[in-house]
Amino acid sequence: MNCGEFERVLPEFLEGEHTREQQAHFDSCSACANLRADLDFISSQAKLLVASEEPRPAVWDALEARLRDEGLIRLPEFVTPKVSIFSRWRTAWLVPVAAALVIAAGIKLYHPAGAGDPAPISKQHGSNPTVAAVAPVSHEDQVLLNTVATRVPAQRARYRADLESANSFIQDAEQSIKDDPNDIYTQQMLINAYAQKQMLYDLAVDRSEQ
Amino acid sequence: MTGARRAQGDKLTETEAIERAKQGDGEAFKVLYDLHKRRVYSLCLRMTGNTASAEDLTQEAFLQLFRKISTFRGESAFSTWLHRMSVNVVLMQLRKKGLPIVPLDEATEGEEEGQVKKEPGAPDERLAGSIDRLHLQRAVDELPPGYRTIFVLHDVEGYEHNEIADLVGCSIGNSKSQLHKARIKLRELLRMNRAEKAGKR
Repeated sequence: MNCGEFERVLPEFLEGEHTREQQAHFDSCSACANLRADLDFISSQAKLLVASEEPRPAVWDALEARLRDEGLIRLPEFVTPKVSIFSRWRTAWLVPVAAALVIAAGIKLYHPAGAGDPAPISKQHGSNPTVAAVAPVSHEDQVLLNTVATRVPAQRARYRADLESANSFIQDAEQSIKDDPNDIYTQQMLINAYAQKQMLYDLAVDRSEQ
Repeated sequence: MTGARRAQGDKLTETEAIERAKQGDGEAFKVLYDLHKRRVYSLCLRMTGNTASAEDLTQEAFLQLFRKISTFRGESAFSTWLHRMSVNVVLMQLRKKGLPIVPLDEATEGEEEGQVKKEPGAPDERLAGSIDRLHLQRAVDELPPGYRTIFVLHDVEGYEHNEIADLVGCSIGNSKSQLHKARIKLRELLRMNRAEKAGKR
Protein backbone atom coordinates (compact mmCIF):
# COMPACT_ATOMS: atom_id res chain seq x y z
CA MET A 1 0.00 0.00 0.00
CA ASN A 2 1.24 3.49 -0.81
CA CYS A 3 0.30 6.88 0.66
CA GLY A 4 -2.24 7.71 -2.05
CA GLU A 5 -4.10 4.48 -1.47
CA PHE A 6 -4.04 5.06 2.24
CA GLU A 7 -5.39 8.57 1.85
CA ARG A 8 -8.38 7.28 -0.06
CA VAL A 9 -9.32 4.83 2.69
CA LEU A 10 -8.55 7.29 5.47
CA PRO A 11 -12.22 8.20 6.18
CA GLU A 12 -13.03 4.55 6.88
CA PHE A 13 -9.75 4.12 8.70
CA LEU A 14 -10.68 6.96 11.04
CA GLU A 15 -13.98 5.21 11.75
CA GLY A 16 -12.10 2.12 12.82
CA GLU A 17 -12.68 0.12 9.67
CA HIS A 18 -9.29 -0.95 8.40
CA THR A 19 -7.23 -3.91 7.33
CA ARG A 20 -3.94 -5.05 8.82
CA GLU A 21 -2.19 -3.78 5.71
CA GLN A 22 -3.63 -0.32 6.18
CA GLN A 23 -2.71 -0.29 9.85
CA ALA A 24 0.81 -1.43 9.02
CA HIS A 25 1.20 1.39 6.52
CA PHE A 26 -0.09 3.93 8.96
CA ASP A 27 2.25 2.72 11.70
CA SER A 28 5.29 2.93 9.45
CA CYS A 29 4.58 6.14 7.48
CA SER A 30 5.24 9.48 9.12
CA ALA A 31 3.63 11.38 6.21
CA CYS A 32 0.33 9.56 6.68
CA ALA A 33 0.54 9.93 10.44
CA ASN A 34 1.01 13.66 9.93
CA LEU A 35 -1.88 13.72 7.50
CA ARG A 36 -4.19 12.14 10.01
CA ALA A 37 -3.00 14.47 12.77
CA ASP A 38 -3.56 17.49 10.54
CA LEU A 39 -7.07 16.44 9.56
CA ASP A 40 -7.94 15.86 13.20
CA PHE A 41 -6.50 19.26 14.04
CA ILE A 42 -8.47 21.01 11.28
CA SER A 43 -11.64 19.31 12.42
CA SER A 44 -11.14 20.28 16.04
CA GLN A 45 -10.24 23.89 15.19
CA ALA A 46 -13.30 24.21 12.97
CA LYS A 47 -15.55 24.08 16.01
CA LEU A 48 -14.01 27.35 17.17
CA LEU A 49 -15.41 29.09 14.12
CA VAL A 50 -18.99 28.93 15.37
CA ALA A 51 -20.79 32.19 16.03
CA SER A 52 -17.90 34.58 16.29
CA GLU A 53 -19.35 37.37 14.17
CA GLU A 54 -22.34 39.59 14.52
CA PRO A 55 -24.44 41.18 11.77
CA ARG A 56 -24.55 44.97 11.53
CA PRO A 57 -27.50 46.71 13.25
CA ALA A 58 -28.81 47.60 9.80
CA VAL A 59 -29.80 43.97 9.34
CA TRP A 60 -32.34 44.18 12.15
CA ASP A 61 -33.59 47.55 10.92
CA ALA A 62 -34.26 46.11 7.48
CA LEU A 63 -35.81 42.98 8.94
CA GLU A 64 -38.07 44.94 11.25
CA ALA A 65 -39.25 47.08 8.33
CA ARG A 66 -40.14 43.97 6.38
CA LEU A 67 -41.93 42.46 9.36
CA ARG A 68 -44.02 45.59 9.65
CA ASP A 69 -44.67 45.70 5.91
CA GLU A 70 -45.99 42.17 6.06
CA GLY A 71 -48.08 42.93 9.11
CA LEU A 72 -46.25 40.35 11.19
CA ILE A 73 -45.50 42.81 13.98
CA ARG A 74 -48.62 43.85 15.84
CA LEU A 75 -49.14 46.33 18.57
CA PRO A 76 -49.02 44.79 22.03
CA GLU A 77 -52.13 42.83 22.95
CA PHE A 78 -54.51 44.47 25.32
CA VAL A 79 -54.00 42.61 28.50
CA THR A 80 -56.33 41.65 31.25
CA PRO A 81 -56.34 44.01 34.22
CA LYS A 82 -54.49 43.52 37.49
CA VAL A 83 -52.35 40.76 36.08
CA SER A 84 -50.23 42.68 33.70
CA ILE A 85 -51.18 46.30 33.92
CA PHE A 86 -48.41 47.04 36.38
CA SER A 87 -45.82 45.25 34.29
CA ARG A 88 -46.74 47.65 31.53
CA TRP A 89 -46.56 50.56 33.87
CA ARG A 90 -43.06 49.62 34.90
CA THR A 91 -42.19 51.41 31.71
CA ALA A 92 -42.22 54.70 33.47
CA TRP A 93 -42.26 56.89 30.42
CA LEU A 94 -45.56 55.44 29.34
CA VAL A 95 -47.41 56.98 32.25
CA PRO A 96 -46.97 60.65 31.36
CA VAL A 97 -47.22 59.86 27.67
CA ALA A 98 -50.50 58.05 28.10
CA ALA A 99 -51.81 60.73 30.40
CA ALA A 100 -50.79 63.41 27.94
CA LEU A 101 -52.50 61.53 25.16
CA VAL A 102 -55.66 61.29 27.17
CA ILE A 103 -55.68 64.99 27.90
CA ALA A 104 -54.41 66.23 24.55
CA ALA A 105 -56.61 64.01 22.45
CA GLY A 106 -59.60 64.74 24.63
CA ILE A 107 -60.52 61.07 24.60
CA LYS A 108 -63.63 61.54 22.57
CA LEU A 109 -65.25 58.30 23.50
CA TYR A 110 -65.62 58.55 27.23
CA HIS A 111 -68.79 59.70 29.04
CA PRO A 112 -68.76 59.25 32.80
CA ALA A 113 -72.53 58.97 32.90
CA GLY A 114 -73.80 58.58 36.42
CA ALA A 115 -70.46 59.23 38.01
CA GLY A 116 -71.54 61.06 41.07
CA ASP A 117 -68.08 61.33 42.52
CA PRO A 118 -65.98 61.53 39.42
CA ALA A 119 -62.32 60.61 39.49
CA PRO A 120 -59.83 63.02 37.93
CA ILE A 121 -59.98 61.32 34.57
CA SER A 122 -63.72 61.31 34.31
CA LYS A 123 -63.74 64.99 35.16
CA GLN A 124 -61.46 65.69 32.27
CA HIS A 125 -63.56 63.69 29.90
CA GLY A 126 -66.84 64.87 31.21
CA SER A 127 -65.86 68.40 30.30
CA ASN A 128 -65.39 67.50 26.66
CA PRO A 129 -68.54 68.38 24.75
CA THR A 130 -67.50 66.67 21.51
CA VAL A 131 -67.47 63.22 22.89
CA ALA A 132 -68.86 60.51 20.65
CA ALA A 133 -70.50 57.31 21.68
CA VAL A 134 -68.42 54.22 22.05
CA ALA A 135 -68.77 51.87 19.12
CA PRO A 136 -66.70 48.99 17.81
CA VAL A 137 -65.84 51.05 14.76
CA SER A 138 -66.63 54.78 15.04
CA HIS A 139 -66.39 57.38 12.29
CA GLU A 140 -62.83 58.24 13.36
CA ASP A 141 -61.96 54.57 13.33
CA GLN A 142 -63.34 54.25 9.84
CA VAL A 143 -61.06 57.10 8.77
CA LEU A 144 -58.15 55.13 10.18
CA LEU A 145 -59.24 52.01 8.34
CA ASN A 146 -59.56 54.02 5.14
CA THR A 147 -56.00 55.24 5.69
CA VAL A 148 -54.71 51.70 5.74
CA ALA A 149 -57.07 50.47 3.03
CA THR A 150 -54.32 50.23 0.46
CA ARG A 151 -52.18 47.89 2.54
CA VAL A 152 -52.03 44.16 2.21
CA PRO A 153 -55.19 42.37 3.39
CA ALA A 154 -53.50 40.74 6.36
CA GLN A 155 -52.31 44.10 7.59
CA ARG A 156 -55.71 45.72 7.16
CA ALA A 157 -57.31 42.90 9.05
CA ARG A 158 -54.72 43.30 11.77
CA TYR A 159 -55.48 47.02 12.11
CA ARG A 160 -59.20 46.32 12.32
CA ALA A 161 -58.71 43.59 14.88
CA ASP A 162 -56.43 45.78 17.00
CA LEU A 163 -58.86 48.65 16.77
CA GLU A 164 -61.84 46.56 17.78
CA SER A 165 -59.82 45.10 20.59
CA ALA A 166 -58.93 48.60 21.83
CA ASN A 167 -62.52 49.75 21.60
CA SER A 168 -63.94 46.82 23.49
CA PHE A 169 -61.24 47.26 26.11
CA ILE A 170 -62.24 50.89 26.46
CA GLN A 171 -65.89 49.91 26.77
CA ASP A 172 -65.10 47.45 29.51
CA ALA A 173 -62.99 50.00 31.37
CA GLU A 174 -65.71 52.64 31.12
CA GLN A 175 -68.29 50.24 32.42
CA SER A 176 -66.03 49.46 35.34
CA ILE A 177 -65.59 53.15 36.09
CA LYS A 178 -69.36 53.60 36.08
CA ASP A 179 -69.57 50.87 38.66
CA ASP A 180 -66.76 52.30 40.74
CA PRO A 181 -65.62 55.80 39.72
CA ASN A 182 -62.79 55.76 42.26
CA ASP A 183 -61.18 52.58 41.01
CA ILE A 184 -57.64 53.68 40.23
CA TYR A 185 -56.79 50.42 38.48
CA THR A 186 -59.55 50.89 35.99
CA GLN A 187 -58.65 54.49 35.42
CA GLN A 188 -55.15 53.44 34.54
CA MET A 189 -56.48 50.72 32.29
CA LEU A 190 -58.56 53.28 30.48
CA ILE A 191 -55.58 55.55 30.00
CA ASN A 192 -53.61 52.60 28.76
CA ALA A 193 -56.30 51.62 26.30
CA TYR A 194 -56.50 55.10 24.88
CA ALA A 195 -52.74 55.22 24.62
CA GLN A 196 -52.79 51.98 22.68
CA LYS A 197 -55.45 53.34 20.40
CA GLN A 198 -53.48 56.52 19.93
CA MET A 199 -50.48 54.41 18.95
CA LEU A 200 -52.58 52.68 16.33
CA TYR A 201 -53.53 56.04 14.87
CA ASP A 202 -49.95 57.29 14.98
CA LEU A 203 -48.68 54.17 13.33
CA ALA A 204 -51.24 54.38 10.56
CA VAL A 205 -50.48 58.05 9.92
CA ASP A 206 -46.70 57.65 10.12
CA ARG A 207 -46.66 54.82 7.67
CA SER A 208 -49.09 56.40 5.29
CA GLU A 209 -46.76 59.40 5.09
CA GLN A 210 -43.72 57.29 4.19
CA MET B 1 -29.74 26.74 24.43
CA THR B 2 -32.67 26.27 26.73
CA GLY B 3 -36.15 27.62 26.83
CA ALA B 4 -35.35 29.33 30.08
CA ARG B 5 -32.55 31.34 28.56
CA ARG B 6 -32.77 35.00 29.39
CA ALA B 7 -32.20 37.64 26.82
CA GLN B 8 -29.66 40.35 27.54
CA GLY B 9 -30.67 40.88 31.10
CA ASP B 10 -34.23 41.87 30.30
CA LYS B 11 -37.45 40.21 31.27
CA LEU B 12 -38.27 37.78 28.52
CA THR B 13 -37.11 34.20 28.41
CA GLU B 14 -36.82 32.53 25.04
CA THR B 15 -40.00 30.56 25.70
CA GLU B 16 -41.90 33.70 26.63
CA ALA B 17 -40.53 35.51 23.61
CA ILE B 18 -41.64 32.69 21.31
CA GLU B 19 -45.17 32.83 22.68
CA ARG B 20 -45.32 36.60 22.39
CA ALA B 21 -43.83 36.53 18.91
CA LYS B 22 -46.66 34.24 17.88
CA GLN B 23 -48.98 37.11 18.81
CA GLY B 24 -46.98 39.54 16.67
CA ASP B 25 -45.12 41.25 19.49
CA GLY B 26 -42.30 43.29 17.95
CA GLU B 27 -40.26 43.32 21.15
CA ALA B 28 -40.37 39.54 21.27
CA PHE B 29 -39.14 39.31 17.68
CA LYS B 30 -36.19 41.48 18.64
CA VAL B 31 -35.43 39.33 21.67
CA LEU B 32 -35.36 36.19 19.54
CA TYR B 33 -33.28 37.92 16.91
CA ASP B 34 -30.74 39.07 19.48
CA LEU B 35 -30.52 35.60 20.98
CA HIS B 36 -29.77 33.87 17.70
CA LYS B 37 -28.37 36.46 15.31
CA ARG B 38 -24.72 35.54 15.83
CA ARG B 39 -25.23 31.88 15.20
CA VAL B 40 -27.35 32.43 12.11
CA TYR B 41 -25.11 35.13 10.71
CA SER B 42 -21.98 33.09 11.30
CA LEU B 43 -23.53 30.11 9.57
CA CYS B 44 -24.45 32.26 6.56
CA LEU B 45 -21.01 33.84 6.51
CA ARG B 46 -19.20 30.51 6.66
CA MET B 47 -21.30 29.01 3.93
CA THR B 48 -21.12 31.95 1.54
CA GLY B 49 -17.78 33.51 2.44
CA ASN B 50 -19.30 36.93 1.75
CA THR B 51 -20.50 39.45 4.34
CA ALA B 52 -23.10 41.13 2.13
CA SER B 53 -24.65 37.80 1.17
CA ALA B 54 -24.49 36.65 4.77
CA GLU B 55 -26.43 39.70 5.92
CA ASP B 56 -29.08 39.25 3.25
CA LEU B 57 -29.44 35.59 4.12
CA THR B 58 -29.60 36.32 7.84
CA GLN B 59 -32.46 38.67 7.20
CA GLU B 60 -34.17 36.12 4.98
CA ALA B 61 -33.74 33.33 7.50
CA PHE B 62 -35.29 35.35 10.31
CA LEU B 63 -38.07 36.56 8.06
CA GLN B 64 -38.98 32.98 7.26
CA LEU B 65 -38.73 32.11 10.92
CA PHE B 66 -41.13 34.84 11.95
CA ARG B 67 -43.53 33.97 9.16
CA LYS B 68 -43.69 30.42 10.41
CA ILE B 69 -43.30 30.92 14.13
CA SER B 70 -46.96 30.27 14.78
CA THR B 71 -46.38 26.69 13.60
CA PHE B 72 -43.58 26.09 16.11
CA ARG B 73 -44.89 23.57 18.61
CA GLY B 74 -41.72 22.91 20.56
CA GLU B 75 -41.16 19.33 19.42
CA SER B 76 -37.53 20.25 18.84
CA ALA B 77 -35.37 22.97 20.36
CA PHE B 78 -36.13 26.37 18.92
CA SER B 79 -32.47 26.90 18.04
CA THR B 80 -32.45 23.61 16.11
CA TRP B 81 -35.56 24.59 14.23
CA LEU B 82 -34.16 28.02 13.38
CA HIS B 83 -30.79 26.64 12.44
CA ARG B 84 -32.20 24.12 10.05
CA MET B 85 -34.34 26.79 8.48
CA SER B 86 -31.25 28.98 8.06
CA VAL B 87 -29.32 26.18 6.42
CA ASN B 88 -32.17 25.67 3.98
CA VAL B 89 -32.27 29.38 3.17
CA VAL B 90 -28.55 29.37 2.41
CA LEU B 91 -28.72 26.19 0.35
CA MET B 92 -31.63 27.56 -1.63
CA GLN B 93 -29.65 30.71 -2.34
CA LEU B 94 -26.61 28.72 -3.45
CA ARG B 95 -28.80 26.71 -5.79
CA LYS B 96 -30.34 29.88 -7.21
CA LYS B 97 -26.86 31.18 -7.96
CA GLY B 98 -26.03 27.92 -9.68
CA LEU B 99 -23.27 27.12 -7.21
CA PRO B 100 -22.69 23.44 -6.50
CA ILE B 101 -24.15 22.30 -3.20
CA VAL B 102 -22.34 19.02 -3.43
CA PRO B 103 -19.12 19.00 -5.44
CA LEU B 104 -18.76 16.71 -8.39
CA ASP B 105 -16.69 13.68 -7.57
CA GLU B 106 -13.55 15.15 -9.02
CA ALA B 107 -10.13 14.61 -7.49
CA THR B 108 -8.90 17.42 -5.29
CA GLU B 109 -7.32 20.00 -7.52
CA GLY B 110 -3.66 19.38 -8.24
CA GLU B 111 -3.69 16.03 -6.55
CA GLU B 112 -2.26 13.13 -8.42
CA GLU B 113 -3.49 9.63 -8.10
CA GLY B 114 -1.36 7.46 -5.92
CA GLN B 115 0.51 9.93 -3.79
CA VAL B 116 -0.09 12.37 -0.97
CA LYS B 117 0.41 15.87 -2.24
CA LYS B 118 3.37 17.71 -0.80
CA GLU B 119 3.82 21.41 -1.28
CA PRO B 120 7.24 22.48 -2.53
CA GLY B 121 9.40 23.68 0.27
CA ALA B 122 6.85 22.73 2.94
CA PRO B 123 8.38 20.57 5.61
CA ASP B 124 6.48 17.53 6.77
CA GLU B 125 5.76 19.07 10.12
CA ARG B 126 2.22 19.09 11.43
CA LEU B 127 -0.14 22.02 11.28
CA ALA B 128 -0.86 22.09 15.00
CA GLY B 129 0.75 25.12 16.57
CA SER B 130 1.39 26.87 13.28
CA ILE B 131 -2.14 28.02 12.34
CA ASP B 132 -4.77 29.93 14.20
CA ARG B 133 -8.46 30.53 13.77
CA LEU B 134 -7.96 33.36 11.30
CA HIS B 135 -5.81 31.21 9.05
CA LEU B 136 -8.42 28.50 9.16
CA GLN B 137 -11.22 30.94 8.43
CA ARG B 138 -9.38 32.31 5.42
CA ALA B 139 -8.76 28.81 4.12
CA VAL B 140 -12.43 27.87 4.59
CA ASP B 141 -13.39 30.96 2.59
CA GLU B 142 -11.10 29.77 -0.21
CA LEU B 143 -12.71 26.36 -0.43
CA PRO B 144 -14.84 25.69 -3.51
CA PRO B 145 -18.51 26.19 -2.54
CA GLY B 146 -19.45 22.52 -2.60
CA TYR B 147 -16.64 21.50 -0.30
CA ARG B 148 -17.31 24.47 1.91
CA THR B 149 -20.95 23.54 2.37
CA ILE B 150 -20.19 20.03 3.57
CA PHE B 151 -17.26 21.10 5.73
CA VAL B 152 -19.18 23.91 7.43
CA LEU B 153 -22.23 21.76 8.07
CA HIS B 154 -20.24 18.89 9.53
CA ASP B 155 -17.12 20.23 11.18
CA VAL B 156 -18.27 23.74 12.12
CA GLU B 157 -21.98 23.32 12.74
CA GLY B 158 -21.92 19.76 13.98
CA TYR B 159 -24.43 18.11 11.66
CA GLU B 160 -24.17 14.34 11.19
CA HIS B 161 -23.70 12.85 7.76
CA ASN B 162 -27.26 11.53 7.63
CA GLU B 163 -28.58 15.02 8.39
CA ILE B 164 -26.34 16.58 5.75
CA ALA B 165 -27.46 14.00 3.21
CA ASP B 166 -31.04 14.94 3.99
CA LEU B 167 -30.39 18.68 3.85
CA VAL B 168 -28.39 18.86 0.65
CA GLY B 169 -29.89 15.86 -1.12
CA CYS B 170 -26.93 13.53 -1.46
CA SER B 171 -26.01 10.12 -0.14
CA ILE B 172 -24.38 9.62 3.24
CA GLY B 173 -21.36 8.13 1.49
CA ASN B 174 -21.08 11.18 -0.71
CA SER B 175 -21.21 13.45 2.31
CA LYS B 176 -18.40 11.52 3.98
CA SER B 177 -16.33 11.47 0.86
CA GLN B 178 -16.73 15.21 0.22
CA LEU B 179 -15.95 16.06 3.81
CA HIS B 180 -12.71 14.14 3.55
CA LYS B 181 -11.79 15.93 0.35
CA ALA B 182 -12.66 19.27 1.88
CA ARG B 183 -10.35 18.60 4.83
CA ILE B 184 -7.56 17.52 2.48
CA LYS B 185 -8.05 20.68 0.45
CA LEU B 186 -8.00 22.79 3.59
CA ARG B 187 -4.80 21.16 4.72
CA GLU B 188 -3.26 21.94 1.37
CA LEU B 189 -4.36 25.58 1.61
CA LEU B 190 -3.09 25.92 5.15
CA ARG B 191 0.28 24.41 4.33
CA MET B 192 0.66 26.69 1.34
CA ASN B 193 -0.25 29.63 3.51
CA ARG B 194 2.34 28.59 6.07
CA ALA B 195 4.99 28.14 3.37
CA GLU B 196 4.24 31.60 1.96
CA LYS B 197 4.52 33.11 5.39
CA ALA B 198 7.83 31.37 6.01
CA GLY B 199 9.11 32.56 2.62
CA LYS B 200 8.46 36.19 3.53
CA ARG B 201 10.60 36.01 6.62
